[in-house]
Amino acid sequence: MAKHVTDLTFKEEVINSDIPVLVDFWATWCGPCKMLAPVIEEVSKNLEGQVKVVKIDVDENPQVAGSYGISSIPTMILFKDGAPVGKMVGFRPADQIESAIKGALGL
Amino acid sequence: MYDIAIIGKGPAGISAAINAFARNKSVILFGSDSKKVILSPSIPNYPGLPDIKGVDFAKRLEDHLSSTNVETSSKKVNAIYSMGNYFSIQAEKDVYEAETVILATGVDFKKSIEGEDSFLGMGVSYCATCDAPLYKGKITTVIGYNEESYKEADFLSEICTKVYFVPVFKMEYNFNSNVEIINDTPLRFEGSMKADRLVMKNSEILADGFFVIKDSYPVSSLVPGLEVDGPHVVVNRSMETNIKGLYAAGDITGRPYQIAKAVGEGQIAVLSACDYLDKKASQ
Ligand SMILES: Cc1cc2nc3c(=O)[nH]c(=O)nc-3n(C[C@H](O)[C@H](O)[C@H](O)COP(=O)(O)OP(=O)(O)OC[C@H]3O[C@@H](n4cnc5c(N)ncnc54)[C@H](O)[C@@H]3O)c2cc1C
Repeated sequence: MAKHVTDLTFKEEVINSDIPVLVDFWATWCGPCKMLAPVIEEVSKNLEGQVKVVKIDVDENPQVAGSYGISSIPTMILFKDGAPVGKMVGFRPADQIESAIKGALGL
Repeated sequence: MYDIAIIGKGPAGISAAINAFARNKSVILFGSDSKKVILSPSIPNYPGLPDIKGVDFAKRLEDHLSSTNVETSSKKVNAIYSMGNYFSIQAEKDVYEAETVILATGVDFKKSIEGEDSFLGMGVSYCATCDAPLYKGKITTVIGYNEESYKEADFLSEICTKVYFVPVFKMEYNFNSNVEIINDTPLRFEGSMKADRLVMKNSEILADGFFVIKDSYPVSSLVPGLEVDGPHVVVNRSMETNIKGLYAAGDITGRPYQIAKAVGEGQIAVLSACDYLDKKASQ
């Protein structure tokens, strides 16, 4: 299960993570985000051990959403060593998310 | 769960439906009668039916379709999500599921605003109800092509400090006082990381976000993740797209825009979908 992070835990869970982290920015009122939820779970399962997958509710955590300039959701940002290395806006099928992650990380 | 969902009721979609019926698949077909076929004064190049009028050809297609058990729906499809093993199809307020999808929505010649696609998701949005909460207390602009856009501007004005409304479609409407109507022609979006400026013929608008509200959106926003080449969907000889289980047929795959080509592609697409379904079932 993709873990939920907040403005308070973001640094510890994402910035300071030992392995790359895919962050799914979502909100309860967003239809495409709901569709993406099971897809994100699948990606998380398929890349277990290589990439950590977390979710952040932009409504309740405006600070993180603001600092990464989220202007549309769902948005996925891939972090490596504390810095964003890739961004995807909108719903995507699982295989496309996985190959984008693998491409960005050279896996 | 349907075996096949066909999006579009033009020659390509109907040809796909007829062939799916022959292969005994459960099918749902979305769309309303093809305006293009009905508008054709006479069709001189469809084999076997020389000089048939568009309206008569449409009637023949309709009769043929109703001789099958294919379920039809005149609902507009707003989004198609590939969930891995199946598709979730959002049609107005309802959700349908199908194992395969045939995209046969034709082409739309309406030109979009320059930069609309490259800034999509970066300051440009197609859905106010989806992204409005991200613009709470900010300034937004709505470029409105239809009646719905008036309501979306109204909705945004309750959340945003200011809303500029650029009507491309005109009607009488009583907006809240923080909505300013700008009568000008949108040309392009500008910005560096995200769109922050709409350049029009005679003036410019600076805003935090831009909402483009219209009836039909580029096919890449209808199917997120779909590989396109301009207004066309990229397909191979089997009419497969880059998304597993999703096929495209007709004008949407590219020129020539002709009925016989659309019908042939609809047939190939659905037979490919049937092969895919049969393989999946035998695994
Ligand atoms: C004036 C005119 C004359 C023509 N003359 C000829 C001719 O003589 N010979 C010839 O071969 N061709 C002719 N054509 C071209 C021909 O009409 C098209 O090539 C043909 O209609 C393409 O078929 P299609 O099924 O791909 O798409 P279309 O016929 O465009 O059908 C698209 C379908 O998709 C549906 N749809 C679209 N978006 C959605 C959505 N989001 N949700 C649900 N449904 C959706 C629409 O309701 C429609 O049913 C002519 C066209 C015009 C305009």
